[in-house]
Amino acid sequence: MPMPSEARPLSADELLTFISGHPARRGLPSDGVTPPDAAHPLFVERDVLADLARLRGCPLRQVMDECLSRHIWPERFRRNYGLFSVMAMRRLLGARVLLAGCGGLGGHLAGLLARLGIGAFVFCDPDSFTESNLNRQAFCTERTLGRPKAEVAAEAVRDMAGHAEVVSHVLAVTADNLPALLDGVDVALDCLDSVADKTLLENACLRAGVPFVHGGVLRHEGMVFRNVPEPADSPAGAPDALPDIGLRRLYPQGQSAAELDAARAAGVSVLSVAGTACLMAGQCLRILLGDAAPGLGRLYHLDSGLPELESFAW
Amino acid sequence: MRILVKLSTTLRDCVPGYDAETGLSLDIPDGASVRELAQHIQVPPEEIKIVMINGRQSEGTDTLRDGDRVALFPAVGGG
Repeated sequence: MPMPSEARPLSADELLTFISGHPARRGLPSDGVTPPDAAHPLFVERDVLADLARLRGCPLRQVMDECLSRHIWPERFRRNYGLFSVMAMRRLLGARVLLAGCGGLGGHLAGLLARLGIGAFVFCDPDSFTESNLNRQAFCTERTLGRPKAEVAAEAVRDMAGHAEVVSHVLAVTADNLPALLDGVDVALDCLDSVADKTLLENACLRAGVPFVHGGVLRHEGMVFRNVPEPADSPAGAPDALPDIGLRRLYPQGQSAAELDAARAAGVSVLSVAGTACLMAGQCLRILLGDAAPGLGRLYHLDSGLPELESFAW
Repeated sequence: MRILVKLSTTLRDCVPGYDAETGLSLDIPDGASVRELAQHIQVPPEEIKIVMINGRQSEGTDTLRDGDRVALFPAVGGG
């Protein structure tokens, strides 16, 4: 069937005609019946959407977004229906996140965010998997030992969500490369393992106007907060205004080299890593869906050993 | 005065028999600071990076009051 080019969105009728005529859809309910709406969406399989994208010569993510706008949900998001509105699902699909660090927090977060429906990922980590990562890092397996964490994370997300746009950088974040890494990013996720690097990232985020979500773990515990820059047109968001660096407030003394060495050798439970990643994903969602006020959010502390979750004011 | 102290991660190693579920319920002299509290329970003050009193971030020099709940943390900075 000849299809309009990607320049013109398909009408609901055109979409439904294509979908109901697809070999994979014949005989299924909803074929050729009333157009779907918010209360009665149509769920469509990946193969059908992939064929539609191929015919139209446009990215699968764009076709998924177009379908969602007509209440046609990708089957992969069937169980997201009821959690997110069409508008929220489209926002997630259109969002780009930076995962700075792709080990413990970064690996678990990548999987969570890909399954939630985030559409684009930038992965950054200079390290490769080692055997001691097997106890807690989601993408560290006996097969991936020795491979760069950023590349493995990118492959894993492509396996989970072939529509996602994925870029990986096998490098450490620096003051020089952060502006480029943050370009076009909607939320940056701090999965780094030193207070200095975390602070560097938060500072760069606030200066670039990119919301920041901090995560830190040690033993059975984890900490999370978000820092959302003030709008650039507000007095607090003016270019010469000093950003309110949460990590500088949390760790005014920083972290000595000896403390960093000790922290890197300390025990870390996969429960604290996975639990903290869940809290970070929750903060990321709130930001992307417009539910996070500018400024520093509360500080969350998880003790996965008890378990106990508490929040603190600054 | 009586206060409740909750210790995080490595700080728990400083207090043998520390129960993470209940924390430490302590009687300390009126007007004691967080730093004096740390010395009392033999937690090196330099290992304490974050002090929360009754759910609010505080300083080591802050004075404690009867009934306060004090949470002490090292850097929780792993990824």
